[in-house]
Amino acid sequence: MTDGTESAVELEGLTKDFATGLRGVRLRAVDHLSLRIGGGEVFGLLGPNGSGKSTTIKVILGLLAPTAGACRVFGVPSDRVESRVAVGYLPEAPNFYRFLSGRELVAFYGRICGLSGAKLVARVAEVIAWVGLTEAAERRVGTYSKGMLQRIGLAQALVHDPRLVILDEPTAGVDPIGTAAITTLIRGLKAQGKTVLITSHLLAQIEEVCDRVAILDRGRLLVSGTVAELTMPKGGGPDRMSGAEREELNQWLAARGKSPTALSAQSTRLDQIFIEQVARNRPNEREESA
Amino acid sequence: MPFSLGRTGLIAAVTLREALRQKLVGLLVLMAAGLVVGVRGLQDFNFGAPELKFIADFGDGAIAGFGAVLAIVLTAQLFFSEIENRTALTLLAKPVWRTEFLLGKFIGVAVVLVTFCGTLTATLAVVLGQREAGLRLEQPEAFAMGGAVNYSALVVAAWLHALKLMLLAAGTLLVASFAQTQIYAVMMGFAGFVICHLQGFAHGAYERSGASVMLMPVKLIHWIFPDFQRFAGEAAGDVSALGLGLLTIYAAGYTAVALGLAVYVFRRREV
Ligand SMILES: Nc1ncnc2c1ncn2[C@@H]1O[C@H](COP(=O)(O)OP(=O)(O)OP(=O)(O)O)[C@@H](O)[C@H]1O
Ligand SMILES: [Mg+2]
Repeated sequence: MTDGTESAVELEGLTKDFATGLRGVRLRAVDHLSLRIGGGEVFGLLGPNGSGKSTTIKVILGLLAPTAGACRVFGVPSDRVESRVAVGYLPEAPNFYRFLSGRELVAFYGRICGLSGAKLVARVAEVIAWVGLTEAAERRVGTYSKGMLQRIGLAQALVHDPRLVILDEPTAGVDPIGTAAITTLIRGLKAQGKTVLITSHLLAQIEEVCDRVAILDRGRLLVSGTVAELTMPKGGGPDRMSGAEREELNQWLAARGKSPTALSAQSTRLDQIFIEQVARNRPNEREESA
Repeated sequence: MPFSLGRTGLIAAVTLREALRQKLVGLLVLMAAGLVVGVRGLQDFNFGAPELKFIADFGDGAIAGFGAVLAIVLTAQLFFSEIENRTALTLLAKPVWRTEFLLGKFIGVAVVLVTFCGTLTATLAVVLGQREAGLRLEQPEAFAMGGAVNYSALVVAAWLHALKLMLLAAGTLLVASFAQTQIYAVMMGFAGFVICHLQGFAHGAYERSGASVMLMPVKLIHWIFPDFQRFAGEAAGDVSALGLGLLTIYAAGYTAVALGLAVYVFRRREV
């Protein structure tokens, strides 16, 4: 279902409050969040630490009940078990049954999702190969490194061939090679028509792989749109240089011993948008931290 | 999507596997077995046929005591290990009913408890059998009026122990379903155990003493909590088949109610 007409996830005015230790004081982790993630889309949920990304994801998965608002997955309210049939989830900083081997663990979740027999065995081997753990598959999960836990978590999330894959910081603790592999994997999922919801602090990676992104801060949606839309200068349309200007610029760079690639090596555009947006949402922060 | 026994069984199996890796289980089994076998060291007493009753009672007490610790602590431990290690997060994000999760946990523990009662009763039977054979050689006259080991009563006693321990596990799971910490669940489990043991005495005593201000609360407790005295090992010898059936229904009823409440509470819990 890549036509984009069907929504994979719909959030309407989603609000989530947590009780703090103090009586009567509640912490609003998600604040009237409305979002729609279309089928076949790769969607990046961005935001600083504590902005409510993981909380939003847990509501989508029915692990937390919303304080107000509605949440539907493929049209099914997320408090119903049915809403999770076609969903794979990699939690942030995942942890698994330490006493099972990697293969046993993935097979366990596969069985839970209704796979069995030769199909199960083949599928388990396939997803373990995708995440590059074939050699470590017989080792106990308790002996895995942080990055290996992320990978086996990814395998576990994909074993039942879900239509929606939710990855909460899939690259945290994964080395650059592994990160590139995960980016490739996400592209592969998109090519198969899967919907992917991903949070990450690696904005370059998000920028590379996401169709659309949303930036949250303090539970509120600041902006959302395609990466191109968000990084477009205010006047609309990218800034262009005339051939003469470009030549002048190149000479300026050459005079300083730099090649024209020095320009694109700057921090990603999304990085700047992210910092700008969050700073604008927190006008008092600078004085506070000063 | 209907409730699935298959998924429940998978969760029970993984729970059982985790349980068998707990040091606590091995320790309690060893200590209980040590007591059951070690009671033979007391054979210096050599007071004839009544010694068999002493060994039987002693073994019975060991099974009841260590079994209760096992039921409460293991249940709390396995439940909170899922919550605290965040493995419940991954599992419940799959198409899994909370009912299946909780029932799986319970069945995993129940298998351990039934095995515990069975194994230790078998050990006790062997100890008793050997001692009986020894005594018959030494003092045949002591057995003239019977007094031999009643093996069927041992089996009945094992079943009663298992019923009681499973009920205790279900009660602990109920507390765990809303408790924030494992230690709280364990403490409440033991408190419940004590109440269930003593409430029968209290109720009987107050009823005999006639009207009293305390009668209402005692009656209330009597209705809410199961009476563990009914499962006492001494009763095993003379309980009828009908009585045993009724006791089984009594225990199963309370267990079902405790599990039902646990599921009701747990469905609202945020993991
Ligand atoms: N179970 C909970 N009880 C109380 N407060 C919570 C709970 N879970 C999250 N919070 C609070 O809700 C807010 C949002 O947390 P959340 O984990 O969703 O942030 P996040 O965007 O995922 O951050 P990070 O990038 O660090 O993972 C935080 O202030 C956090 O302290
Ligand atoms: Mg998070």
